[in-house]
Amino acid sequence: MADWRALAFAAGVVAVVAVPVALALTDRHLAGASSALVLSTTAGALAVSALVVQPLLAREGRIARHEILGAVALVLVLVHVGALFAESSEDAWFAISPDGPTRARMALVATIALFGVVTLGALRTRLPLGAATWRVLHAYLAVVVIALGIGHAVLTDGALDDVGTTVLVGLGLLGLLGIPAAHIVRTRRARS
Amino acid sequence: MRRSWLLGLLLALVTAGIVVALLDSEVSGTGAENVGESGPERTATPEPAASAGAGGDGDAERRERRCEATESNPGGTNNYLPDAPAQGSLGSGFVITGLVRAADGCRPLQDVRVQVWLATETGGEQDNRTSVRTDAEGRYRIETAPTIPQFGEPNIHVGYDDDDYGEVFIRRVVDLDDERAVVDLTLAPSG
Repeated sequence: MADWRALAFAAGVVAVVAVPVALALTDRHLAGASSALVLSTTAGALAVSALVVQPLLAREGRIARHEILGAVALVLVLVHVGALFAESSEDAWFAISPDGPTRARMALVATIALFGVVTLGALRTRLPLGAATWRVLHAYLAVVVIALGIGHAVLTDGALDDVGTTVLVGLGLLGLLGIPAAHIVRTRRARS
Repeated sequence: MRRSWLLGLLLALVTAGIVVALLDSEVSGTGAENVGESGPERTATPEPAASAGAGGDGDAERRERRCEATESNPGGTNNYLPDAPAQGSLGSGFVITGLVRAADGCRPLQDVRVQVWLATETGGEQDNRTSVRTDAEGRYRIETAPTIPQFGEPNIHVGYDDDDYGEVFIRRVVDLDDERAVVDLTLAPSG
């Protein structure tokens, strides 16, 4: 039974990782695109998958993997942004300026929150925070990261349109519902 | 108990700040209105509204009419390179047209050079650009491959920076399935 569960979990993770990347890389917006844009799209799609898997790992109690994947997600987001700067620094600076589009502002806030949630994870035992306070802050920032990260991807034309939007919304809901589920499970384990 | 109350207040304030920051933004960026169209190509552009007019007909009225000048919008100069070569087309499948007028008198401007640049499957914005001149009716037209959303949304740049009028650089957006874009310019006097 446990084997089946592990197999299903692994299959789910593979699907969550593969589907957004496959959809993003086969979209027409990459026709004639530079390698920087392909890299940015790939990193962005992988970051979406990583963020969705995170609450599942926390719920399963796989904290070491959860911490590593959090750092990986942050690196993927930085690669995504860095490649956009390499593609066109003018467009990238404009996007994060006060005059930039809503999707870019979502991405900016989500990235700041991602820095925060990864920092909280890395400094968990060194911060002068109670366990309950730490969990609430961590969960809150995770909600911001997933909600605005998915919002950014939904509002972005080209990478994940049509079926891709449905996939994104589904993944976003999965990730968001996973946060309270993980919170409940972790709190019960801590009490028992 | 007091600590959890403070934490709740802090998170509520942060959430409110995020909501305000998002609501304060424009979906496509400041001033980037959607100029995409589909269906048959327009042969005439509606006249821009004039701000004042003299009573009666003739040259005096035309001189006193003023049309609101097109303002540059943020991001309009992104990837602009001066003196783009004039090319017959930038591909096929999408058409960009526009009417260029003078703000003073609202008259169409003939033989005015504007630059158009956009990302398509044939190249990014820095590579995919052309200069085009207006005809006797003040209109310009350039055929191009459809724009693709390399930076999140299909967008088009049109700019004017010759000496006769004030420079203007605008960035507009279209939808993925649009076939045309209409970008009119009303140029203010230089200086």
